[in-house]
Amino acid sequence: MTTAVYEIKGGDYERGGAASRAVKQQLKQVGADPAVVRRAMIAAYEAEMNVVIHTQGGELRACLHNGQLDIEVIDTGPGIADVEQALREGYSTASPKARELGFGAGMGLPNIKRNSDRFAIESALGRGTRVSFTILLKPQALYGAGRHSVQIVAERCRQSLRCLRACPTGAVRAFRGKPEILDYLCIDCTACIAACPTGTLMMSGTVGELKPAADTVLVVPAAALVQYGAGVTPQRVLDELTALGFREVRVVEAWEEALRAAVVAYAKAEAPVAPVISPACPAVVNLIETRFPSLIPHLAPFLSAIEAVRGELGGRQAICVALCPCQKTALRIGDGVQPDVLLPAVLRAAVMPRLNTNPPAGHGSSALGGGASADVLRVAGLRHVVRVLEAIEDGLVTDVPVIEPWICDKGCFGSPLLAEDAVLARSRWQTAPVERQASARAVRRNVPFEPRKGLRLDNDMTKAIHKLARIDKLKRSLPGGDCGICGAPTCAALAEDIVLGRAHPEACPRQGQSTPPSEKESGT
Amino acid sequence: MRLDELASKIGAKVHTPGRGANVEADQVYAGDRISDLLNAAGEHALLVSNLASTHLVRVAELMDIPGICLVNGQVPDAAMLDAAREHRTLLMASPLGLFETCGRVYECLATEKQT
Repeated sequence: MTTAVYEIKGGDYERGGAASRAVKQQLKQVGADPAVVRRAMIAAYEAEMNVVIHTQGGELRACLHNGQLDIEVIDTGPGIADVEQALREGYSTASPKARELGFGAGMGLPNIKRNSDRFAIESALGRGTRVSFTILLKPQALYGAGRHSVQIVAERCRQSLRCLRACPTGAVRAFRGKPEILDYLCIDCTACIAACPTGTLMMSGTVGELKPAADTVLVVPAAALVQYGAGVTPQRVLDELTALGFREVRVVEAWEEALRAAVVAYAKAEAPVAPVISPACPAVVNLIETRFPSLIPHLAPFLSAIEAVRGELGGRQAICVALCPCQKTALRIGDGVQPDVLLPAVLRAAVMPRLNTNPPAGHGSSALGGGASADVLRVAGLRHVVRVLEAIEDGLVTDVPVIEPWICDKGCFGSPLLAEDAVLARSRWQTAPVERQASARAVRRNVPFEPRKGLRLDNDMTKAIHKLARIDKLKRSLPGGDCGICGAPTCAALAEDIVLGRAHPEACPRQGQSTPPSEKESGT
Repeated sequence: MRLDELASKIGAKVHTPGRGANVEADQVYAGDRISDLLNAAGEHALLVSNLASTHLVRVAELMDIPGICLVNGQVPDAAMLDAAREHRTLLMASPLGLFETCGRVYECLATEKQT
């Protein structure tokens, strides 16, 4: 608990506000939410100026304890004749001088009352006034919010540490023997899932069984239709799914094509910058919002295909096969129908037995599939995507109007949740596509893309700079080999984790090995 | 719109640059009563006012407001300039009145929104 007392001189307009300023410093030091600080400042400044304007002098006491700020402002007179009237908006007894300076609007006490969580006033004519109020402090979230659908099944972890290095944003840690994800960095892609040899990292919240129903729409991505080996065409799989008894089966690819056409049209007619980046893959959008915020203007303002499909369900029950966590997240956040999300493996288990017993059905007319366009450059695979985004950031991509990046190899065909090889699957889809669905269209976004807040070292700039210096110093004392044994993906990440209290100061097993032996021995 | 850019567009003279070059403003609040300005406060606001005094800078400082625009060709006194410099508040002065100044600022921000 800290109590500070500040003297306020009556009539000293020059120094009026000094006490409030000191209180603000304190609030910033304890990391109070900026909105709360603003409320506290309105109340404190009004109270302080009341003493300056109306009285012979007094003091402001500020007490910080138990997550709240208590302020007491006491003066020695002349006191308020009618407190009730003084609390009414617009009532003022301020001098002409005060009014000239912009005070005396009759808003002081009402302003204090409105901005505090508890407010009290006592006054006695000739003796003085005591105004006290409380502001409840909320600690500010140090990290921006992140939403993802990656789930960790800790008991499966054999500490291969592959996930640490696979993550494109360095969001994975394994300090306590199992992986953890820093939400604010996770872009909801499949990198860690693909890297994990034991299935510790998985997509969360899926249903375990495919239950056909006459009022339910089934939404499947093209890639899920080409997981049944040579000779089983996607149209055949689609027919079997329809025969299971759904109201309708929709293939996401149709919306991807519509989106592609819309993005090309947007690039030709409206785009403020070139090249235009297609928002086809939600994980790419997350990656840009997190690691490449300067590329946000390049993103075409449309919903991804899976979000567009969801928007057109029109309140009907639905089951969606999601190929990655970001698709699942896109199906769950915001308003609208919350469809059941199914792993492709569950779909496969339901379709497989039918393929063995039923005779093959005839081909449909080839219409949906491929989707290659001369104007669109498809970039698939995390490594390529990152390098191409870096190139765009450097202004080196001037020869392509539209870029369509996908985190997984071959687009969604390379999802680690699928059994078939990405190249085989995509080629089977391209050689034998399914019938076109008429209703698919691209949908404009209502909500603009926004850079993610990311990490703030501290709410207080001074402290943040101090921490930054400590991180820098620590980083130089670490070996720099990025071995990952400590549980952080890089030595730089470990330095940050130690300074932010996420990792033990001696987490590095190799620290000091690069320093001369004498120094090392004296350290241990 | 960046505050320094806004200043040149509305024909105001910048007395102290503050953090102006790095700060975007998308809101404007005009008024001659401290209480009103306090309530209007925001991190991306420009205060437009006749109140050429250190109190206006104090309000900006307490409420994290990055910029102030005086009107009617008022010249800030030394105390106000010092305060603005100390708290890195961008202080500009417009030769026009409150109403006209706001009109120009509105025009600039509205055109920016459209493009």
